[in-house]
Amino acid sequence: MKIVIAGGYQAADYIIKKFKSSSNKLVVINENREVAQYLTKSNRIPVFYGEPYKYFVLDEANVEDADIFVALSKVDTDNYVSCLLAKKVFNVKKCICIVNNPKNVDVFRDLGIDSVVSSTQLLATSVLNESSLENLIKTMSLEDEQIVLSEVVVKATYDIANKRIADINFPKTGNISCIYRKPSVIIPNGSTIILPKDKLLVVTTPAHQKEVLNFIQKDK
Amino acid sequence: MKKVTPKKRSLFKNKTLIIGCGRLGSSMANKCSLEGKNIIVVDKNPDAFDRLSDAFGGLTMVGDVTHLDFLQEAHISTAKEIIITTGDDNINVFVAHIARKIFDVPEIYVRLDSPENEVLLKGLAIKAIFPFELSYDKFNVLRGGRK
Repeated sequence: MKIVIAGGYQAADYIIKKFKSSSNKLVVINENREVAQYLTKSNRIPVFYGEPYKYFVLDEANVEDADIFVALSKVDTDNYVSCLLAKKVFNVKKCICIVNNPKNVDVFRDLGIDSVVSSTQLLATSVLNESSLENLIKTMSLEDEQIVLSEVVVKATYDIANKRIADINFPKTGNISCIYRKPSVIIPNGSTIILPKDKLLVVTTPAHQKEVLNFIQKDK
Repeated sequence: MKKVTPKKRSLFKNKTLIIGCGRLGSSMANKCSLEGKNIIVVDKNPDAFDRLSDAFGGLTMVGDVTHLDFLQEAHISTAKEIIITTGDDNINVFVAHIARKIFDVPEIYVRLDSPENEVLLKGLAIKAIFPFELSYDKFNVLRGGRK
């Protein structure tokens, strides 16, 4: 595979090391003389010194018909133009572009760049994922932490889903005190059926919280 | 984004949006203003507007034109024409593509220092101005074709 790596410092170094092999032909272009020298030294490969958004630099580096073009420069518009040149003039098959401004992800895609990566956006997504995991169980302590109130959302995969409370053999150490099923609140009894997406409010002692929660979250 | 009342919005319709207030952008803004056009000039550096003449009657806005939000604030969606004159070819190409592909501005003019970048505008009905080629042509005219 012919891979062109345009711009970047640490990211370029990492990608070169990752893809340097006999089956890949790497073309490395960098507009910073010191970085270009560093990349040459640390990876023992030729690095073209020049701005990758200029026609003659790409021409000289012979990027024609490359399989992948990766633009890693710090300036979003520089990356945009180098990707476009590579694609339109040099017939590169796929372009990957890094952007600093996460709002540019959609803009670049709309303007025809194949793949746009924003580290800020990736970070935001993982923060969101983490926080939704945390949200799964909310806990509140009452009376000097002698009573614990936990909030659990039932998933369709749980063993207790779609069953009557009387039938699930709920641990004696805890109690489902309340079920919130949009838009109403249900005070459950033995004949209440637990449905997926129900929010259960469970009362336990701190010592037994884990045991009870494990019971609820047990998969089929 | 500030809400624009309908009355105010009509003020911004049919306007000329000038991106970059350098020597080229500011002189165009001054001339267009004398012709009585409705103009908004934008630049990331507030000092750039010192180049505008006292008679300039348009709006000025400070911001980064590579941000889509800012272009929207500058009413790019209702512009009649856009003249892109910053000193960076890459920014100019980027903004021209946004103006055509996202907002479909009727008339787009863009300044390009490097003639090689013209290929990026192919088939998009964007008109390019090449200051260096113009100077070279003028030089040839002044020389009267002598060798």
